[in-house]
Amino acid sequence: MAETSRSSNGRNWIVGLLVIAVLFVLPFVLGQMGRTGEYWIWVTTEMIIMGLFAMSLNLILGYGGMVSFGHAAFFGVGAYTVALLMKKAGWPLYLALVAAPVVAAFVAAIIGWFCVRLLGLYFAILTLAFSQLLFMIVFQWRELTGGDDGLHGIPRPEALGPVSYYLLCLIIFLLCFWVMRMIVNSSFGLSIRTTRENLERAKFIGINVRRYQWLNFIIAGAFAGLAGGLLTELNRFAQTDFLHWSRSAEPVLASLVGGMYSLVGPAIGSAVLIFLKIILQQLHKSMVEVWAIVLGLILLAVVLFAPDGLVGLYQKFFRKSES
Amino acid sequence: MTKEFYIFMLINGLSQGMLLFIIASGLTLVFGVLRVINFAHGSIYMIGAFLAYSVSTLLTGGSLFSFLVLLLIVPPMIAILGFFLETSLFRRVYRQEHLVQLLLTYALVLILDDLVRVVWGGDPRSVARPDLLAGSIEILGLDLPTYNVFILVVGPLIAMGLWLLLYRTRAGNVIRAAVSYPDTLGALGVNVSWVMTSTFMLGCWLAGFGGVLTAGLANIDLGIGMEKIIECFAVVVIGGLGSIGGALLGSLIIGIGVTYFQLPLGRWALVFPYALMALVLIVRPWGLFGKPER
Repeated sequence: MAETSRSSNGRNWIVGLLVIAVLFVLPFVLGQMGRTGEYWIWVTTEMIIMGLFAMSLNLILGYGGMVSFGHAAFFGVGAYTVALLMKKAGWPLYLALVAAPVVAAFVAAIIGWFCVRLLGLYFAILTLAFSQLLFMIVFQWRELTGGDDGLHGIPRPEALGPVSYYLLCLIIFLLCFWVMRMIVNSSFGLSIRTTRENLERAKFIGINVRRYQWLNFIIAGAFAGLAGGLLTELNRFAQTDFLHWSRSAEPVLASLVGGMYSLVGPAIGSAVLIFLKIILQQLHKSMVEVWAIVLGLILLAVVLFAPDGLVGLYQKFFRKSES
Repeated sequence: MTKEFYIFMLINGLSQGMLLFIIASGLTLVFGVLRVINFAHGSIYMIGAFLAYSVSTLLTGGSLFSFLVLLLIVPPMIAILGFFLETSLFRRVYRQEHLVQLLLTYALVLILDDLVRVVWGGDPRSVARPDLLAGSIEILGLDLPTYNVFILVVGPLIAMGLWLLLYRTRAGNVIRAAVSYPDTLGALGVNVSWVMTSTFMLGCWLAGFGGVLTAGLANIDLGIGMEKIIECFAVVVIGGLGSIGGALLGSLIIGIGVTYFQLPLGRWALVFPYALMALVLIVRPWGLFGKPER
């Protein structure tokens, strides 16, 4: 991590608080704009949720230095937890939203136990394989999950309009951000970064690498599950698409575009990508067809030319202007 | 359940395993030389299958000649695709960290899978089997599907061909040297980057060959690439990454296992490769034939 001087630190705080203030005011402004406004409230809510999802993956990817191609598994588990609990068991939203990360963490603990035994290539392979396994289970288990059709008609509490749901998601996002920030800066977070930088040395100074990576995997899974639960309530449905391997690509891409060596970078990357998708949709309906190709080409470009992403560019820009 | 029935299942499972081996051997061969695990291998295989469908619409369906034409021209077309992928993309990342390599091939999966969807659409397709291979054949008093027997003959031929190529020719010596001592090989005046390109093309040729065979065996749709790459991963995890012999064993175990478990478990038999993979990872994380270094 690059050393940041005190002045740039202070600027980051000011920028951050400004952004938060704008985010809180935004839905009320959009609310005045009729149907387009409502649409954009929905979009920004999705951006916030997918930002949380991307940030959760980045705990593994950016801070842990391990590539997971199966993060959608936990997103999907959270989504189906909320869907099943609310629709079939009649739980209230707030309890379901507590259950989502817990169940996701539990699943992440099982899958992670196997995955962290292997590093590098094998880790990536295994995460992909296990997420595909969960996808198949959800797909096949029609009686419980509705299979291909998914679960529709998740109840929405009376009091929650689009604006208040937006605010709920924003507050949860900020809380999660705060918690993640504490985790990343704790001795645990520093140890995780040590394992990324130098595995041998981390072992040498007595870090139980496997256990730390396992815990990190579980934490990331829990946040992903929460994001999945929030998206389910936003869409009011859960479907197999939430667990599909291509869903796992989104946070990876968001982390790369936004920069994976910062906490908030992936969330910014995710918002940029969703915005791009909507712009493409507006340009031409058929552009949605080629969305994965666009994502793949962006990924290729980032991998080959700008591995540090947008936040890297921002830092480069400001460091240059300071000196 | 009669004895005949179990033999029937065995033939079925073996042919599934052989098909899997043809594809997985390409993946493991490429990994051995290039040290890059190609997530897009399944997508390349899928392109082979769909290309076989497209070419077959140009030929008279059902004749043995047109099926042989497919087997002759589609795999080289896929190998040429591999040539362009290797020289334009893969070559740039050999000396970079795993993360970059993984993400590169992952980006290719996104692009290639969606390209297949745009070009061929989402409908299931299939290639008509030639009449000669369409029916069933009587062997030892058993009626067996001819096409599966055909795969069962072709699979070992491919395995044998690979073995001869790797262990009995100069090209094979060079490839094996590139696995162990790429730098020394370069110092000895061998064009290592050409070795890598041709190995990658061979891997793609195998994927394409498997694709053509699959198109004749069952319906092909947009899911087969991801399905097959995961099975290939299971194979290489079980057999050991980079080992052709391990790939053969792993493929046969998975092919036979899935076929047999379909009896008591039905559609849940698909869980078998994962369970086996998990088991191998606990007991022998480097695979049955791999080396424990990584």
